[in-house]
Amino acid sequence: MAGRGFAAACVWAALASAWPALARAATESDIRLELSPRICTLAATDKQCETRVSAQWRSPREESLCLVILNRPEVKRCWEKYSEGNYSLELVFAEDLVFQLRDLALGNVLASEALRVIREALLYRHKRRQPWNIFD
Amino acid sequence: MRKHILSAFPMVLGLVGVAAAGAPDDCKGPSADCVAVGSWNFSVALGAGAMSNPLVDGKPIPLVVVPQFSYYGKRFFINDLDFGFTLAESDRSTFNLVASPGYDRVFFYRSDLQNVFVSGFGRAAALVRPDAVGATQVAPRPRRVTYLAGPEWTFKSGGISGQVDVLHEITEQNHGTEVRAAAGLPLLESKGTLTANVGMTWKSAAIVNYYYGAGRIYRAGPAFDPFFKLGYTLPLTGKWRFYTFAQYERLADAIVDSPIVVERYVATGFIGAIYTF
Repeated sequence: MAGRGFAAACVWAALASAWPALARAATESDIRLELSPRICTLAATDKQCETRVSAQWRSPREESLCLVILNRPEVKRCWEKYSEGNYSLELVFAEDLVFQLRDLALGNVLASEALRVIREALLYRHKRRQPWNIFD
Repeated sequence: MRKHILSAFPMVLGLVGVAAAGAPDDCKGPSADCVAVGSWNFSVALGAGAMSNPLVDGKPIPLVVVPQFSYYGKRFFINDLDFGFTLAESDRSTFNLVASPGYDRVFFYRSDLQNVFVSGFGRAAALVRPDAVGATQVAPRPRRVTYLAGPEWTFKSGGISGQVDVLHEITEQNHGTEVRAAAGLPLLESKGTLTANVGMTWKSAAIVNYYYGAGRIYRAGPAFDPFFKLGYTLPLTGKWRFYTFAQYERLADAIVDSPIVVERYVATGFIGAIYTF
């Protein structure tokens, strides 16, 4: 009987310790973050993307949160007690950008989406060798 | 000769099969030997130079502004006035089917397109006047633009680059055959590169007569024209590079004996700079 009680205590302890993570997971799935565009395609001659990006989020309840971009500390837009928000900005980037919705303390990630950069693959081949040509 | 070319095709295709086994894997980026697939390449040479004209009263062809362009698809390519299709390519060998204009017309017509890509823009005029001494004995006749086509093998081995073309005239003007072959050897490579090119052109009697024949007065045989070239290139700032060369081509007796030819050679020299866009 003592063994059964110990097992039950362990289950409750495990549930209690996992609760914040479970709650956060539920919250993350509730908040939807959408980017437009979601992909930037670079042509062979392009070095970087230069485009206007719109980030839109929506939640079934009022939230207080901030939109940030990883490794772009200059970008930060916060809302207090809103159930949706939209932020558009001009961006220049050559690598993937990760947009995140975080709580006001910026400690917890509530939602995340990536704006992908796809580079057109460059193929190379041999130039024509032409020592017969007068200007080669 | 056409029969000979056709009979050589199975051998060429066999070589192509061997070469196709080795895919080109040393072209990872832009370099002196490699170029991006699907892009146009433009350059222009600016400088001073000339190509001598062996014809009676033929005026030298100036080399001042020489535009050049090329496009390389995965197989198809355009190289100034040449175009071709790559059958197989490996690190060292390339087999192409190419089409290229008949070369000798440059001496007869300043307006020949090859004179734009060999010698730059200039006045369009006949290079041999009907009243020129020697030429007056020969009734003037046109030499039309011709194209030759056939297999081409190029290779690079131990720093030596080579080219062999076996071409047949396909524009129904003379039905002649031409073999072009050359090898380029870098003699000195430091900041700049000094290169020696040795080569030859063999022309069948049909081609020699089309350009240099004179009716009943002169019927030529085939011609073998060897040449030697020394060229030096040095990268400058940005997209500029210095370039100079001198070439001497000795003409065969079959050409020199023509009544409209007075020089035994074609000498070409240029000094200037090339800008790559």
